[in-house]
Amino acid sequence: MIPQNFDYAAPSTIEEALELLADPEAKALAGGMSLIPLMKLRLAAPGRLVDLRRIAGLREIRQDDGALRIGALVTHSEIESSPLVRSRCPLLAETASHIGDLQVRNAGTIGGSIAHNDPAADYPAALFALEAKVKVAGKGTERTLPLEELVVDAMVTALEPGELITEVIVPVEAASTGTSYQKMRQPASGFAIVGVAARLEKSNGRIGSVRVGVTGLGPSGFRARRVEELLDGTAGSDGEIREAAAVVAEGVEANADLHASADYRRHLAQVFTVRAIRAALARAS
Amino acid sequence: MRITGSARIAAAAPEQIFRLLLDPAVLSKCLPGCEGLERTGEDEYRMRMKAVIGAVSGAFDGTVRLSDQKAPQSFRMAVEGSGRIGFVKGEGLLKLAGQDGGTEIAYDGEVQVGGMIASVGQRLLDATARMIIRRFFTRLSEEAGQ
Amino acid sequence: MATTVTKTEPIVGKGVRRKEDPRLITGTATYVDDIEMPGMRYAAILRSPHAAAKILRIETSAAAAHPGVVAVFTGDDTRDVGPVPCAASLPGLRAPEHKVLATDRVYYVGHPVAVVVAADRYVAQDALDLIEVEYEPQPAVADPEKALEPGAPAVHPEWPDNRAFTYQHEGGDAAKAFAEADVVVKQRIVSQRLIPTAMETRGVVAAWDAGMRTLTLHSSTQIPHLMRSLVAAMVGMPENRLRVVTPEVGGGFGSKLNVYAEEALLAWISMRIGKPVKWIESRRENYQATIHGRGHVDYYELAARKDGTILGLKAKIIQDCGAYHQLLTPAIPTLSLLMAPGIYRFRNVSAEIIGVFTNCVPTDAYRGAGRPEATHCIERMVDLLAAELKMDPAEIRLKNFPGPDEFPFETGTGLSYDSGDYAAPLKKAMEIAGYEGLREEQRRARNEGRFLGIGISTYGEICALGPSSALPAGGWESATVRVEPSGKVTVATGTSPHGQGEETSFAQIVADELGVDLDDVEVIHGDTGIVQYGIGTFGSRTLAVGGTAIHYACQDLKTKIKQWGAMLLESDDVRFEGGACVCNKTGKSVPLAEIAAAAYRALKLPPGAEPGLVATRFWEPSNFTFPFGAHIAVTEVDPETGQVEIKRYVAVDDCGRIINPLLVAGQIHGGVAQGLGQALYEEAVYDENGQLVTGELMDYAVPKATMVPHIESSHTETPSPVNPLGVKGVGEAGTIGCSPAVVNSVVDALSPLGVKHIDMPLTPEKLWRLIAKGGQA
Repeated sequence: MIPQNFDYAAPSTIEEALELLADPEAKALAGGMSLIPLMKLRLAAPGRLVDLRRIAGLREIRQDDGALRIGALVTHSEIESSPLVRSRCPLLAETASHIGDLQVRNAGTIGGSIAHNDPAADYPAALFALEAKVKVAGKGTERTLPLEELVVDAMVTALEPGELITEVIVPVEAASTGTSYQKMRQPASGFAIVGVAARLEKSNGRIGSVRVGVTGLGPSGFRARRVEELLDGTAGSDGEIREAAAVVAEGVEANADLHASADYRRHLAQVFTVRAIRAALARAS
Repeated sequence: MRITGSARIAAAAPEQIFRLLLDPAVLSKCLPGCEGLERTGEDEYRMRMKAVIGAVSGAFDGTVRLSDQKAPQSFRMAVEGSGRIGFVKGEGLLKLAGQDGGTEIAYDGEVQVGGMIASVGQRLLDATARMIIRRFFTRLSEEAGQ
Repeated sequence: MATTVTKTEPIVGKGVRRKEDPRLITGTATYVDDIEMPGMRYAAILRSPHAAAKILRIETSAAAAHPGVVAVFTGDDTRDVGPVPCAASLPGLRAPEHKVLATDRVYYVGHPVAVVVAADRYVAQDALDLIEVEYEPQPAVADPEKALEPGAPAVHPEWPDNRAFTYQHEGGDAAKAFAEADVVVKQRIVSQRLIPTAMETRGVVAAWDAGMRTLTLHSSTQIPHLMRSLVAAMVGMPENRLRVVTPEVGGGFGSKLNVYAEEALLAWISMRIGKPVKWIESRRENYQATIHGRGHVDYYELAARKDGTILGLKAKIIQDCGAYHQLLTPAIPTLSLLMAPGIYRFRNVSAEIIGVFTNCVPTDAYRGAGRPEATHCIERMVDLLAAELKMDPAEIRLKNFPGPDEFPFETGTGLSYDSGDYAAPLKKAMEIAGYEGLREEQRRARNEGRFLGIGISTYGEICALGPSSALPAGGWESATVRVEPSGKVTVATGTSPHGQGEETSFAQIVADELGVDLDDVEVIHGDTGIVQYGIGTFGSRTLAVGGTAIHYACQDLKTKIKQWGAMLLESDDVRFEGGACVCNKTGKSVPLAEIAAAAYRALKLPPGAEPGLVATRFWEPSNFTFPFGAHIAVTEVDPETGQVEIKRYVAVDDCGRIINPLLVAGQIHGGVAQGLGQALYEEAVYDENGQLVTGELMDYAVPKATMVPHIESSHTETPSPVNPLGVKGVGEAGTIGCSPAVVNSVVDALSPLGVKHIDMPLTPEKLWRLIAKGGQA
């Protein structure tokens, strides 16, 4: 439980950080909730840690042009408790409150979680349902891409070596939008065995603008477009919800581990999709 | 851990895929993290591999052995590797079948994992194994297309 | 000389807060890892990644040449150290020689192979990576039943059948009971392997003093005195030159009721290099190389008349021993056998234990040690019988308890239950839970298609271990009570409390006996340099045996105090009361502090007395004590996910007389949490090749605070006649009572589907599959 030797740098600007990260042996450190345990087990052995936590400006949450811009270094507990996030994007706040335990939420960051892309992380469900975008900085470059393009495979993203996530952009939700995150916790780690986030609107007795994000089921989080299509325009009866949720795992190569087989995960994905949609529907006005 | 599944390679017939799979130069390009295959005998190779999955990295030394070749339908592949973070030992049957001008490759094998990766990597083993296989076939497909 | 006596209110029976807590919650307590010494070196241990392999070659030169490395040792260097001791003896027991480091073979994942000693722990860890070991893997077997099959890989090649021992017991006439029975129920029941998971892992600091030729061994242990004797033998030094110091211990649960390879290894290294050396176990090592608990596959048969009267029991207990015997490995299932009939009246018992070697870390004592397995089995069997006879599970239990007038009650396994009123806690628990109302609610829930279950467990246990005949090291305990010259009191106990709170409960006993303030009593323990020899803390014995030794030392001391009081009061008729000697004729009194001052000044001595005020007692109980109780769990299973919700948890425990209700509540809460862990979450999983795949807390699920329900805890108090305090012990009760209550409840919930038994842990997927298949396993 002792890491290998490493150098440590704590730059105060993004530019400095990107300069340091140009070294292929360097690795960015945000909250350290995934990286530090891997280093202690010597499963990861970066030559240098570039600690991002002293960079001003990566810890802000602001509203801008109908979107919330959340700095990459904002912790889960800051998101959970931010009045701005709670009122403008309650799905993200609710999801953050389900992550790990209090200590993890106090240290772990949204940017770190997205960059690590653990298949069982909670955020992807909400972020896919919110059609989040991610701002990425590289040496002399900056780009904004949808989460769907960032996420490649389990633990793998489209980030180029030396690139950093700087900001997560989610839409400001209308007060009438209904959202919910429903999850089965893995009892040891608190990760999602399966987690489903739903957002939807309701007008004239019909459901619209449905978005469903799923985590834990496959190699990465994903948007369940087939479920959305089937539900869009329906009245949201129990039967309609069940029918839509039934396809959530179609075409997904489901994960399996000690805690849940692939079959069980596929089943849970349906159950929690139903629950998330029902809860979102109850909250929509 | 049992690993079964299949992959489709659109642009190449089984004969070509079979040849590619038995070519050490191609294999070493397709195996993620493979730093080279060195022939040590008839259908036997020494392998050095540096696996990088997200933040996790580990070097493995091992062997690859091919057997029961029935060109172009099937062969067996046995892989053994060990490194500081653990060891992997697997053997499986690969079956090739022509399909609409392409090739359907079905694999069925048993993988044994030990050491650190077995005792702390449980949660991600399955997802990681399948990701490595996906990458392998993606690259094989690229090779076949060239 | 005062003439008034302050009568202090008794403090025994009061829920005073723990004297231990301020140092624990302010971070000022000292654990092994807090110890630093000049010139200290650090050890790191290389462990086998294989469950079974021959060691062909170990190359240590690169590690030895690494800057900062002091030494590298392998099994070749330590051939003369050890062996790691097994204190349990059974007829025909096969005990493999257990070296401190592997020599030619490794037998389980985590088996120590080499040790690096370095200037700091970082260097030591780096150098471990430089040791090359060439293994030739061998077939391994991790499942105890598979290990018994013909042709299974032999864990120890010299014993190809993998049988470590067999042990048989016949009580009464089981064959006759089964022949006469109207009904027989049978079930295979698994008590899965558990990992004790003490919050503090193990740790050792060994410091050799070359000038004095003495060795001080700091170890996180439950048995400092036994460790001194055993480690002295392992390293070949006289035990009076070895001092074992146990600093604060962050939990043991039985896992530190042991002597491990590392203790002798570190002692040997310190002597060899002439420097203090420290080793702190990582969590991963803790999971791989510290003992596990349970590991039973049991086959039970229960015979009864159709009115529900139980006639007899047949039991086959398969104990997964692991690859070696640790200190008490083979003894643990014998406790299961002793407790097999539970607290029921029948005496016809035919039981057999088969101890099995597997390529896994050894099993040994874990909270309850053999009794949870036995209780789980008999309580499941009684429920199976109730279901078979369509009787209420409470009714069938009440029918089979011996009455309060039948004690001492001789069991079919040779025990003599000291005292009991088994119906009382069950009736009280049913009253608290509102049993009839719950059954009504269950009927309504079933009509709505919900799976609501009510589970009862009525348990007994063997505590206060025990008479010396029952324990390899002796079953007594020691105490020295010393009134210091100032009148303050020091108590030295041979037990080794490590979280149970006996510094407080012992002080309560002494405060009442000697009429002093609780704060004037200091309890010291866990240092063989300053405490007389003792046995230790395990088997719910500390208060019942150690506390009784203190009680008797206080009586001896009071006799002395009265001698001095009589002299000072110039009277031959004095009593000791409220912290002072009082003349029965004149009412004049002399307080303890004055008596103490006189006893140490010793200008004048009472006839036949010695200076000073000290008494030491070694006390052996005549029998075990037998606490009992009833737990009721109300659960609901989510039909869609299989998740279990504990809706109510009622625990009525009878641990004899209660000295401190707060400590008892703490023990029940902690015990129930661990019982819930076994029932719902925990399992040490080895794959078929012997790899421990639950190797970290990321995959091994101990219940967190948020996963433990509110526990409605209550008591009945049936004093034990075995000791003058009337206490029985409560450290393991919660764990023993819990798992059958929860499993019975979940089986009850799913019984409309025809479910009769489910093995632990009751994971959501397991239950979901049962529900999906309509109850068919």
